[in-house]
Amino acid sequence: MRPAASILLLTTLTGFAYGLLAWLGLDAAAGAAGAVRPLMLIGVGLALVLASAGLAASALHLGRRERAWRAFSQWRSSWLSREGVAAVLTYPVALAFAAAVYRAPAAPLTRLLGAAAALSGLGTVYCTAMIYGSLKPIRQWHNPHTAPDYLIFALFSGGTLFVLLHTLTLGTGALPAVLAALAAAAALLAKLAYWRHIDHQPPLATLASAIGLAHGTEVKPLDAPHFAENFVLREMGYQIARRHGEKLRRIALGLGFLLPLLLSLLAAAGRVPLVSSVLAVACAALGLLTERWLFFAQATHVSALYYGRSI
Amino acid sequence: MTMLPERAPGARKMGLVIDLDTCVGCHACAVNCKEWNTGGEAGILPDYDKYGANPDGVWFNRIHSYETESPERSRTVNFPRSCLHCENPQCVTVCPTGASFKRAEDGIVLINTDICIGCKLCSWACPYGAREFDEDAGVMRKCTLCIDRIYDETLPEAEREPACVATCPAKARHFGDLGDPDSAVSKLVEARGGVDLLEELGYRPTNKYLPPRQAQIPTAPQEAPARPAQGVGAALLRLLDKALSR
Repeated sequence: MRPAASILLLTTLTGFAYGLLAWLGLDAAAGAAGAVRPLMLIGVGLALVLASAGLAASALHLGRRERAWRAFSQWRSSWLSREGVAAVLTYPVALAFAAAVYRAPAAPLTRLLGAAAALSGLGTVYCTAMIYGSLKPIRQWHNPHTAPDYLIFALFSGGTLFVLLHTLTLGTGALPAVLAALAAAAALLAKLAYWRHIDHQPPLATLASAIGLAHGTEVKPLDAPHFAENFVLREMGYQIARRHGEKLRRIALGLGFLLPLLLSLLAAAGRVPLVSSVLAVACAALGLLTERWLFFAQATHVSALYYGRSI
Repeated sequence: MTMLPERAPGARKMGLVIDLDTCVGCHACAVNCKEWNTGGEAGILPDYDKYGANPDGVWFNRIHSYETESPERSRTVNFPRSCLHCENPQCVTVCPTGASFKRAEDGIVLINTDICIGCKLCSWACPYGAREFDEDAGVMRKCTLCIDRIYDETLPEAEREPACVATCPAKARHFGDLGDPDSAVSKLVEARGGVDLLEELGYRPTNKYLPPRQAQIPTAPQEAPARPAQGVGAALLRLLDKALSR
């Protein structure tokens, strides 16, 4: 599948945003908002700014941006529509949460709104994941890894931001840094498990079954319908050399998960916490963009079979 | 509305039956489809870089040719590919706007290009690659089963069929109601063992394909030519052959 910059930005930025919102909300739900009020308020603001940037980037993907509002109507069947509805609903919930933190950080209502904000942010991430997870013709997406992975990556990336905000406002944050390191380790393992899964998956179909011939018939493409690329090949027939894929996987793993893990541990130990938490955010951002690029580039679509591609 | 309609008992299921035995791969269906739909109610079907090095554009039909081989027979199979108007079309349910829909009365899958936002998700959901994006209008396009021909009562009755069917010189394309077991197309599917494409994906296509018939004469794949004999004797014989054929 062709990795479109707009979608890479959308999914990565909303991952950071809603992941951060989840950390803030859960922290408040645990009753900790009183001690860290500035962090909460800056954090909710940052989360909403990042989410808005991601949603704006996603609009660039549309052929008819002025009609984008129509996408809120089909939430009964479409995960894309549900994502839109959830993203819009998250704004009032997050703002109400911020207002509650401002007025009465320790009140039960604040804790409740914190939990609601976390749930609403992660719910949006889940809808995003299910857009991909529900597409039957793409085996690398339509599997049990996709939805949990998106949630884990959101908590991981948002966690790096949470640690950074903690360090900025309180000077240190050992416990959040330890939790962020755990999230990074979970993300690393989840990605390794996902790659192992897609590398061992059998193809969804054969060319023989795609053209209705008996199973096991050997079919080779003779003449293509057209001699230049068309929409289907550009969009669904995206190909990436195996050796480039391997290299990028190593970059995503090292930059995206391993370095943030080590940097979070460094911050937890109280060594140059500001530098290490800034670096952890930067590495996670670059690494996750690489990871997301691969999530698209290494996904194959059944329709490419018709052109003799392996899927 | 992108929820799939409840199919009323006895409702029509309009679709195509394509005969892979007689299709000659001439692309006439694709060309007539393009011609009709670029001028018909659906509006212009765009072309990009028309006279350049990489001509491209939106076509509702794409004709592939394949070489098939089993131990005793090999043959060419020409394969026209277009929307199959599935009974379980994921291209419809993923649509966030309701632009992509399936009609309850005849099962035709259509796009309302007036409300399509051009998110392309429907094209990702279609395993048959039947949808193509209109870069000029910013919306998705697909086969309409020539809805502006088949119900046009100003046309002579014989012409109320899709452009691809009307033009096929090999009569490899048939149009009719596949929901009616007594229709000509249903009987054809029954008689020839018509099949669903990519049955394992569960989209339940309405269009059926008739598999190529087995040739009565075995057409085994050609064996590789024998390599010229090696050695001194063979070289002498070749020399002799050359001298004699001078």
